[in-house]
Amino acid sequence: MDDEGILDLFYERSEQAVTELDRKYGAAVRRTAGNILRDRLDVEECLNDTWLAAWNTIPPQRPDPLVSYVCRIARNLAVKRYRADTAAKRNGSYDLVLDELEECIPSGVDVESELERRELTAAINRFLETLDREDRVLFVRRYFFADPVAQLAAATRFSANRTSVRLFRLREKLRNYLQKEGLSV
Amino acid sequence: MNRDDLSDAIGGIDGRFIAEAYSHDPEAASGPSERIVRMKTKRMVSLALAAALILSLGLAAYAVGSIHLARQQELRQDLKVDENNAGSYVEYTLPETQEPQGAVLLSAVNDGTEERVYVNVSPVTEEELAGFADGASRFSWSIEGYELGGFAGPSLPVDLNLSGKEAIREALLQYAYDAETQTATLECWLTVDSFKKAMEALGTDTVPLQLNLSTDAGTRCLGTIDFALTDEQSRSFDFGRAVYHDEEFDKEIEIVGLELTPFSAVWKVHYEGDALLHSPGGDQQAGRDWLLLEDKVCQDAQLVFSDGSTFSTGGALTTPYENGVVRQYCGWGGAIDIGDVQRIVLHDLVLWEAP
Repeated sequence: MDDEGILDLFYERSEQAVTELDRKYGAAVRRTAGNILRDRLDVEECLNDTWLAAWNTIPPQRPDPLVSYVCRIARNLAVKRYRADTAAKRNGSYDLVLDELEECIPSGVDVESELERRELTAAINRFLETLDREDRVLFVRRYFFADPVAQLAAATRFSANRTSVRLFRLREKLRNYLQKEGLSV
Repeated sequence: MNRDDLSDAIGGIDGRFIAEAYSHDPEAASGPSERIVRMKTKRMVSLALAAALILSLGLAAYAVGSIHLARQQELRQDLKVDENNAGSYVEYTLPETQEPQGAVLLSAVNDGTEERVYVNVSPVTEEELAGFADGASRFSWSIEGYELGGFAGPSLPVDLNLSGKEAIREALLQYAYDAETQTATLECWLTVDSFKKAMEALGTDTVPLQLNLSTDAGTRCLGTIDFALTDEQSRSFDFGRAVYHDEEFDKEIEIVGLELTPFSAVWKVHYEGDALLHSPGGDQQAGRDWLLLEDKVCQDAQLVFSDGSTFSTGGALTTPYENGVVRQYCGWGGAIDIGDVQRIVLHDLVLWEAP
């Protein structure tokens, strides 16, 4: 079923909508949550929460693309759970992603309010616009979907080393970009 | 700002980018490529050679000893060491006593910027190695007594093309693992400059390099080797600040020189405004044409060998600005014969030619 058909089911308040959503995007959502959470039960719970959130927000929302909408919900729920579960310890694979992101933080830029956080997201969107498609996909797959480097390496047909270096270069670019943008935050 | 702020901000990025990345999901791609089939044959030949040699050593040492020897031979062949006279590639003498556990140093090569170190480690379970494909297992190296560490990963053939988690798992177990001895072959990447600092701080010529495996169960040390930096093999080309005019961007870029090793290259280029563009405040959007032109130099320039074959160093992995030039570092898997380079050209511009 295409996205429009699934959205129509949501608008009709048909429970079949969730079944179709799970059939089409269940694997993507499971994987998004599974890259962040290691516990299978947590992942399933995250999946159910994602479908519930979709049910509660569509309508009035009519997201396009639908896959981005549900993956975003799943990621944000998984990150929230991850933070709650791992507050006192740092050994998850998502910690590696966070460690890498730490390298992108320029000095002198602070984010204290929701408005500034939105501005930061807008700056990252502008940064992503500057990248070529291959680099942008690599960045989003690593830092949004939290895909392991080995998997990205295989997908990009480079060695893991080269992929790590390429990600490093992208982080350098983002840090420089944010530093420049930070002057106006 | 902290890393959680940044993570949250990335969580809110434009849905177009998420959909674009989703459509590139490697899980959606097809299975193992033809390349894998070819490599299977290669590995069988290597193992057969190793087994033949080992017969004379007695069966008791075979199980563990053969895998170290076999791996050395596979790496040598895969990295095209003999074929392309990579003199900087160093193989180490294998231990006479074949212990079933710990780390065994196989070989290393210094490309001037990075040192690649190949190590066999055991015991590693099949599940632990396969877990590398989805991030459930992570390998790393660290230096005992010094705050320095980095990533390591299972060593796979350099030209192997893989798509999808299952294909990666299969390749890991096929090329980087010996089930009988529970031995995994790892490749570690060490930054040469950082490693030198570690040696200086420890006041020694060798450092204790510790190999680690992290899983949900925690981190355990797989073994430690004493390691010293190896010598690099390089060849420098001075282009006398050759000027390349690019018609697409209508810009001119000076190509100052090239530092070449069997496994890497540094293209040194200079253009108006390069220092500013590569500074933290550099406007990369405004300088996009220059960045593309930098890449063009690395990607389009051809090294021409005596048999007429050509090689491109590929796009740069890092581009620091140092001493008045942008240093574009490029790396690749298998060695090239740097002594056999006869010409270097960029489209119609001959940058260098053997006398």
